[in-house]
Amino acid sequence: MMQQTSGFRIFFMTGAWMVLAFLLLPILVVIPVSLTDTSYIGLPKEELSLQHYVAYFQDDRWLSATWTSIWVGLVVAVCATVLGTTFAIGCWFLSNRASTIARWILITPILVPPVVQSLGFYRFWVTLGLIDTHGGVILAHTLLALPYVSISVFAALANLDPRIPQAARSLGASVWQTVRAVVLPAAKPGMLTGGIFAFIVSFDEIVGVLFITVRNVSTLPKKIWEGIQESIDPTIASVATMLVMLTIVVTIITIWRRRDGDLT
Amino acid sequence: MPRLPDTLRYWFLVLPALAIMIVFYIWPLLGIWQISLTEPTRGLDNYTRMFDSSAVTTSFILTFRIAFKTTIGCLILGYIVAYVISNFAGRVKPLMVALVLLPFWVSVLIRSFSWIVLLGRSGIVNDTLISSGMIDSPLRLMHNEFGVVLAMIHVMLPFAVLPMLANMRGISGAYVDAARGLGASEFTAFAKVYFPQTMPGVMSGALLVFVLSLGFYITPALLGGGRILMISEYITYQIQEFLNWGLGSALSVGLLVATAVVIALAARFVNLRSALLERK
Amino acid sequence: MKNFQDMTDYEVKADLIEIAAHKYREGKLTRRGFVSAMMVLGALPALSGKAMAQAKEIVVVNWGGRASEVLQEVMCDTYTAETGIPVIVDGSGPSGGKIRAMVESGAVVWDLCDSGMGTAIILEQQGVIQPIDYDIVDRGSVLEQATYKSAVGNYVYSYVLAANPKMLGGNVPQTWEDVWNVKDFPGMRTFRKSVRGMLESATMAMGVPMDEVYDALDSEDGIDAAIDKFRQLRENIIVWGSGSDSQNLFLQEEVSIGNIWSTRAHLLKDQMDEGSFTASFKGGVLAPGMWVVPKNNPAGSDEVMKFIAHTQDPKLQVQWLEAIGSGPANPAAAALVPDELQKWNPSSPENLAQQIFYNDEWYGKNQVAAEEKYIDALIN
Repeated sequence: MMQQTSGFRIFFMTGAWMVLAFLLLPILVVIPVSLTDTSYIGLPKEELSLQHYVAYFQDDRWLSATWTSIWVGLVVAVCATVLGTTFAIGCWFLSNRASTIARWILITPILVPPVVQSLGFYRFWVTLGLIDTHGGVILAHTLLALPYVSISVFAALANLDPRIPQAARSLGASVWQTVRAVVLPAAKPGMLTGGIFAFIVSFDEIVGVLFITVRNVSTLPKKIWEGIQESIDPTIASVATMLVMLTIVVTIITIWRRRDGDLT
Repeated sequence: MPRLPDTLRYWFLVLPALAIMIVFYIWPLLGIWQISLTEPTRGLDNYTRMFDSSAVTTSFILTFRIAFKTTIGCLILGYIVAYVISNFAGRVKPLMVALVLLPFWVSVLIRSFSWIVLLGRSGIVNDTLISSGMIDSPLRLMHNEFGVVLAMIHVMLPFAVLPMLANMRGISGAYVDAARGLGASEFTAFAKVYFPQTMPGVMSGALLVFVLSLGFYITPALLGGGRILMISEYITYQIQEFLNWGLGSALSVGLLVATAVVIALAARFVNLRSALLERK
Repeated sequence: MKNFQDMTDYEVKADLIEIAAHKYREGKLTRRGFVSAMMVLGALPALSGKAMAQAKEIVVVNWGGRASEVLQEVMCDTYTAETGIPVIVDGSGPSGGKIRAMVESGAVVWDLCDSGMGTAIILEQQGVIQPIDYDIVDRGSVLEQATYKSAVGNYVYSYVLAANPKMLGGNVPQTWEDVWNVKDFPGMRTFRKSVRGMLESATMAMGVPMDEVYDALDSEDGIDAAIDKFRQLRENIIVWGSGSDSQNLFLQEEVSIGNIWSTRAHLLKDQMDEGSFTASFKGGVLAPGMWVVPKNNPAGSDEVMKFIAHTQDPKLQVQWLEAIGSGPANPAAAALVPDELQKWNPSSPENLAQQIFYNDEWYGKNQVAAEEKYIDALIN
């Protein structure tokens, strides 16, 4: 249906595109900066240069921090997905007041200020001897990722009619069989979303890492943080560009695969 | 072997995650309360110091002010986007949604870095303005409240848009059409009929942005120039610079309580369950 | 405080070890738990075997980064060449808390630590460091203010007035009074996110003569007056948290004037374009880094004292200055400093004459209260 273009509509449309430009453009500035031929942050002066990408790939500290972030993120994604999914399935079966309280408890990490929770981690991790260990980071990140997994799995299960598992049970299937045959398939999309969320939460997490690691463990965000604090050099821009490009590619693939636009 | 009741079996599913969360998250969080009451001496000293200190008061006010400005900014900008996506976007809807989500997936650190590159004294904005002859000397865009709020709006905007989108998705166009059919102007129909229906989404977005802004650390720490000292940065400052765990913990408790109060107050206007627990 | 590197991590880490030691004493942590916590924290690197301080090997600890490399090359390798005794630098940051925890746990692996005046005084009171043997270490080869019973100066650094003449149109502030004069010297200034070395400059900006600064600050009113100076200037202030912060602010041309460490100024003079950076020691605050020796150090007292004596060699101290900007603690070194570096040497006679010495006693008494007011004045 072609509607008339009113002033009202023009105002909103222009406004929306401007806001979207405000969201996107600042992120894209890292691209020209990463190609600068100067040794300081700025736009390219005479020619485009890949020197800051070379610098990244030749620096063991950047590479190992990247690698750490990737594998820690994967481990966190697996741990959080397993724990969060079983949790959400249990709560879904129970669907009582107590299980709702349990769900509230599980999402506290979303609401507590990062610095405050990191303080808590730090003191407890000291007693546990987990400071500056990969295990310590994985545990902390798993806790921070759990809310996202449990929320998305639970949301996926909202589409599952509770009577189906009931029927399965009354036909003699065990709890385990019911979960495997009926509930898990329904939870799958939520598990996927939750797992991706968990990976990203861990991959981007910075405040906790600043508190609970010292020297042995360095993640990509920590390296970027130190880079910004210590010497703002264009290598950070090259790392940022690669991450932004990766995100754009993944987003495009997602749109392409789910054309209904219902990405949220 | 006696069969376990089903409820018990379900609790076995719930328990691992719940136990880990309580032992490794909730428990350490309570530990902070304990530190605030025992270090360096047992008692309420840290709290008296906190309430007596005008620096702490100023920092709390500053924190709330910035969170407030950020929230307002996010709501206005976010509403326009959510409204257009839900009503006018048509074929470009997926693109618009993607543009909202994209920054969401880019880490806060990188986005703050971008803003440093843009807003610095010899940053891209100032360079461009100077070389185009629009200004003579660089503007102060960073290391002040303006820069912090601008970057924070950028970071928080998706958090405002997404709940509003979810809410608008559930609004039927029939009411607006009816109002238009009865002769209301496009604007009146929007203001009187559509807008009130979107309030739950607006409130959820406001709550989310406000709460997250209260505890924000990265962006103010990087763009604030040390003078936009929000509570989170104040806490790290006390602990890192002066090893003052007692006061740092008391401040953390203060921030935690402030957050809880905000959520409790919000509960009167927002359906917390759908805003937080079942948000998607 | 001890420059070169961002301190923050180390302070946090130091505190961590303090906590672990505390728990251990209270019996909440088993000895095994304590030792393993220490190892994780890198406080007991030696237990891993490789770095174990064997007899006749000296482990010197400082704060990491380039400073560790320079210390190794300039002081340690030369000592090994002379005596055959291996000297190893560990850059893991010998904070007071860590030194104490190590001595109390009975597993001392450090022989010599780069500490500060305040920390040294506390450690001396706690009885965890050894008296300096002034029969071996030459008292006359150190600035006299930096000779304590259990600690001796190893290098010095200053809080100095730095400026970017290019941004100021060639009009460079000469005194702290000028720094507070926004009309004639426009632009942003940077000061430390702590009162250390800062209140002194504000006090001088009020016209208080150099040698009366700490007297003026020795009262509530004096402190408030200095704080008030910052309140007046605050719209023009960006705060630096770490040494690298201050360096960045100048490099990115965010500030045109600042009160920063001389060691950072030393780096900036080479990093910035010709004519875009100056620093003046006039009205500066000079502070020494201090050597301390933990009790029951593995190499034994005498060996370490001999090494300290070696580091007093003025020629080596000049090399240290050239490499990283740490001023010689030995006054005799000043004469050997090449001409072009003279003005960058915190302890040259000319620069010494126009600076005051960091007054640790004052800080012990007033710092906590002053910090609070300072922050209040800066944030808006």
